[in-house]
Amino acid sequence: MSDTVAEPFLKGNTGRNTRGILRLSILVLIAAAAIASRLFSVILDPWFNFRATKYLVSHGFYDFWDWFDDRTWHPLGRVTGGTLYPGLMVTSGAIYHALRALTIPVDIRNICVLLAPGFSGLTAFATYLFTNEMSTSPSAGLLAAAFMGIAPGYISRSVAGSYDNEAIAIFLLVYTFYLWIKAVKLGSAMWGALCALFYGYMVSAWGGYVFITNLIPLHVFVLVCMGRFSPRIYVSYCTWYSLGTLASMQIPFVGFLPIRSSEHMSALGVFGLLQLVGFVEFVRSGVPSKQFATLLRGFVLLVFTVAFGGLVLLTVSGVIAPWTGRFYSLWDTGYAKIHIPIIASVSEHQPTAWPAYFFDLNLLIWLFPAGVYLCFQSLADEQVFVVVYSILASYFSGVMVRLMLTLTPIVCVAAALALSSLLDTYLSVKSPEVPVEAGPDGTNGTPTPSKKAAKQDGLRSMRLPIVGIYTTFSKVSVVSALTAYLLIFVLHCTWVTSNAYSSPSVVLASRMPDGSQHIIDDYREAYQWLRQNTKDDAKIMSWWDYGYQIGGMADRPTLVDNNTWNNTHIATVGKAMSSREEVSYEIMRQHEVDYVLVVFGGLLGYSGDDINKFLWMVRIAEGIWPEEVKERDFFTDRGEYRVDDGATETMKNSLMYKMSYYNYCTLFPPGQCQDRVRGVKLPDVGPTLNTVEEAFTSENWIIRIFKVKDLDNAGRDHASASSFDRGNKKKKTIKKRGPKVLRVE
Amino acid sequence: MRWILSFLLLGLLAVVQAASSSGNKLLVVLEELAEKSKYSKYLGDLEARGFEITFESPKSDKVALFELGARAYDHLLILPAKSKGLGPQLTPKLLLDFINAGGNILLTLSSSTPTQSALISLLLELDIHLPTDRTALVVDHFNYDTISAAEQHDVVLLPRPDAVRSDLKNFFKGAGKGGEAIAFPRGVGQTLGNNSPLLTPLLRAPRTAYSYNPKDDVEGVEDPFAVGQQLSLITTMQARNSARFTVIGSSEMLEDAWFGAKVQRSQGLSGAAASKEIKTSNQEFAKEVTGWTFNEIGVLKVGKIEHHLNEGEAADQVINPKIYRVKNDITYKIELSEYQWDRWVAFNPEAGDDLQLEFSMLSPFHRLPLKLIYTTTNSTIWTTSFKAPDQHGIFNFKVNYKRPFLSNIEEKNTVTVRHFAHDEWPRSWVISGAWPWISGIAVTVVGWTAFVALWLWSKPVPLKLTTSGKKVV
Repeated sequence: MSDTVAEPFLKGNTGRNTRGILRLSILVLIAAAAIASRLFSVILDPWFNFRATKYLVSHGFYDFWDWFDDRTWHPLGRVTGGTLYPGLMVTSGAIYHALRALTIPVDIRNICVLLAPGFSGLTAFATYLFTNEMSTSPSAGLLAAAFMGIAPGYISRSVAGSYDNEAIAIFLLVYTFYLWIKAVKLGSAMWGALCALFYGYMVSAWGGYVFITNLIPLHVFVLVCMGRFSPRIYVSYCTWYSLGTLASMQIPFVGFLPIRSSEHMSALGVFGLLQLVGFVEFVRSGVPSKQFATLLRGFVLLVFTVAFGGLVLLTVSGVIAPWTGRFYSLWDTGYAKIHIPIIASVSEHQPTAWPAYFFDLNLLIWLFPAGVYLCFQSLADEQVFVVVYSILASYFSGVMVRLMLTLTPIVCVAAALALSSLLDTYLSVKSPEVPVEAGPDGTNGTPTPSKKAAKQDGLRSMRLPIVGIYTTFSKVSVVSALTAYLLIFVLHCTWVTSNAYSSPSVVLASRMPDGSQHIIDDYREAYQWLRQNTKDDAKIMSWWDYGYQIGGMADRPTLVDNNTWNNTHIATVGKAMSSREEVSYEIMRQHEVDYVLVVFGGLLGYSGDDINKFLWMVRIAEGIWPEEVKERDFFTDRGEYRVDDGATETMKNSLMYKMSYYNYCTLFPPGQCQDRVRGVKLPDVGPTLNTVEEAFTSENWIIRIFKVKDLDNAGRDHASASSFDRGNKKKKTIKKRGPKVLRVE
Repeated sequence: MRWILSFLLLGLLAVVQAASSSGNKLLVVLEELAEKSKYSKYLGDLEARGFEITFESPKSDKVALFELGARAYDHLLILPAKSKGLGPQLTPKLLLDFINAGGNILLTLSSSTPTQSALISLLLELDIHLPTDRTALVVDHFNYDTISAAEQHDVVLLPRPDAVRSDLKNFFKGAGKGGEAIAFPRGVGQTLGNNSPLLTPLLRAPRTAYSYNPKDDVEGVEDPFAVGQQLSLITTMQARNSARFTVIGSSEMLEDAWFGAKVQRSQGLSGAAASKEIKTSNQEFAKEVTGWTFNEIGVLKVGKIEHHLNEGEAADQVINPKIYRVKNDITYKIELSEYQWDRWVAFNPEAGDDLQLEFSMLSPFHRLPLKLIYTTTNSTIWTTSFKAPDQHGIFNFKVNYKRPFLSNIEEKNTVTVRHFAHDEWPRSWVISGAWPWISGIAVTVVGWTAFVALWLWSKPVPLKLTTSGKKVV
């Protein structure tokens, strides 16, 4: 850390100060860039977190803790305080109150909107700290910070208004790892405790804390296996584990999971292992080596048998929670699709397609292996961590799109290590003996070649002699190529952010033929309609994707929402959507549904509509009622999923199909009725609805809302009642030969 | 109990107004105003009870049931008309809309004038079936009036109807003395479908009656439309909104001629001799049937509904809270009144009938009988107490009381039942099972403190090293 900047007169103390100021201003600039690049368009989402934050701010912490939300999951309600990660809301609440205490009156909404960009600046800083622990080159940290600030893989979850747990969780993730590295390096109980503190914060903020819970023990385990057990590791890990576990158990949603669920067992196991290894090390110091070998063998065997037997016994007896579906789907990508449709139905849980890596990480993804390779050159404890993290995160990101987020930090770090080492090598102006430092941030334009003083540090001189680059040509060409790459990376990040990650799902944008932008605002139109035209406690049934939005933007109770904890309840809605009207009506009556909301993209060609999601509803419903709902019935004999003339009877009679296409063909001249998403022609005679009636259809037909009819006043079934309303007279029962039907009292 | 007092006042007001509990605007549809005189006694009774009667011909333009989308009349009486159709204002759809809007309809049929197809299709919608022969009438060779129908046997004499079930109120039993006769002259019998729970036959034909078309010149009736008790002479339908619809098979029984006419019952099935001449009870019976149809009797009203905590704390004073906690003790109260001709009186169900309260979410968690605790001059107060189930959610207090001839009560009050708050659980030291753990914590704390104290205050012994580096104590 004792390099100089370009000016030779800035040496000694002054030089250190100047470097400090420069580094600080660069970091501030990086943070500013990180925040600025997240401000393309702002729409608050998900609404539930915002609602919860408002509740926290207006009712106080304890009421929030005990909050029973009777406007979601009707009629079950949700024990919200006990089923969410409160970290996000509490953070915004704390910021809100801090600002109020400083007499800065801020609307809580603004805090919620800007929380994610704000924390992305902190993430960049945390990445800088983390990378600095890995490398002696100061440029690596700054490069990593810059990468982290603008990498699309992270921006995807932290644009302004994206008020999800990940908004603060990634900062906590990186910062916890930084503290862990610090603790391991110093073997300090204080850093271990700090690490545990931030781990506790992380647990309160995001379910992804399990990643830390497994990564740190894995790191320790690998170190122990490499024969690098040391008191440093023992102290830091035991401090972290005991305090961290206690901290995590304070979150009601986590509760006793850390000692029961299999996902947390590795941490417990490594904790036990460290005690054993520590004990063995202690014994080794007192026993001659020959006897020690025998002793060790017996000891290991005994421990293994006891531990394995105990694990099996506890799992079988049910003390340890059964291996959850989410866990299996991490290891086996096919598992979820077969067994848990609710997990597989979430697009974030799909396996990652390979272009996504390039899309989200661009340049970094091919610098990443180089960075990991460089870690092997000086394989200290912390470099082992990078390697372990890389391997684990790479695998997981391939399993689930969503976990790309946990991969991004280490990719940034590894890429920065690789790039800084390249730049350090190629940016030295003259002598091969003296390495030259890079311009701190390749993204800021052409880095000015800077001279570098000889290392004061012992470490670098201990290394192998540096094989330098002698020709200016190769230096210039490599450096300029890298500069170009970095510039392209910046362009790519900006492009991805503005085009892919800043288009909120609530408002759709499309291009008119003349190239002007056309905003399709059907969602908000529909939610506004609900807000203004329905009773305050009108229950809205929709597929769970829209639950949070209805709850937040329309302020109406919903049956299911994006918090998919109750599979049965979601399956009930799935069954109501995929069954015949008469069957659905019973379900809707029982759940006191007043309105049903469907999303239909047929007119506009909006592919994310309910008919395209319909099979998931069917599958989820089939999981609970395999006798009543069968996925096969929705496919034609030739195995096609069709909505046109050739659709199966089950499909045509399902409530979802009927609601989607109800009256749709009246928009078109006869014979030209077209579904623009599925690209098929529809039959001219649309479905009839008896038990529900159309209440609202948005401008572009994306949202259709139907009102559930009351029971017929005169005691008829709905089909005959609406047939009567259409003007059909009831046919007199034709007298048949045979016994009369008598009335029985 | 101030609210009971105010109720009393309201009751007094009702006495002044009299007539039906749901308004007194009555539209009588009859073909010619001249026919009015045929029903003068019956209509006079109605007027005396406070109804404002408007007479219209079905073909008239002014017959509209709705005005600016709102119901123009409270009740509708349709007397038979000779014309083939009923005109555009009395279509089955409009009549049904009238019922859906809470209006009551009393429909009379007659075998001498064929029933209009509009009415037939309305009846069909309600699952009431008329004989296919439009002139068919009900005859009974064992219960006819020997004075007026010695030959035709088409004036059926019936006793007052019994209650449908023993635990139901009978509004049509008159004084209840028995021995009365209701004349049902040349009426149209109906059969009722099985599907609609809203239908109740008010007056059934005797076991020996059957439907017969006098124009069919055949000796015996081979396949009668319906026989015996399957024939309903007067049918009632009470819609879900408690609007009432009554079909009287014989309009003639409302005519002056039959109010107080002398009749003599024929020889019965048992061979008993013909009874002596008696006056018909048609007038009183018509009053009861009409009174029921036009909401003068059998109307229930829910007064105040109260629910509150029942845990002996200050919180009990809060009436109708929005939220309860699981395992709370809750008390529920409901006040019911019944309308009787001109005033609200205390409602008491028949013996053997229970009022029930359901506490339900998706399905009932409790279904409890409500106990009568208090009777005021015009209402009864029912209550029950129970412990909320150990299940959080959005629950309903439901009173679903639906009985034939009584208007429907379907009361739903929604409350939230929340889980235990974090500070509502018993503290750890109260639970005896936690004591070993608590003492464990105490021992650890004390032990650690003692160890640290010992460590800090014990003076280190200077190390003495041997030449080989081994430590010597």
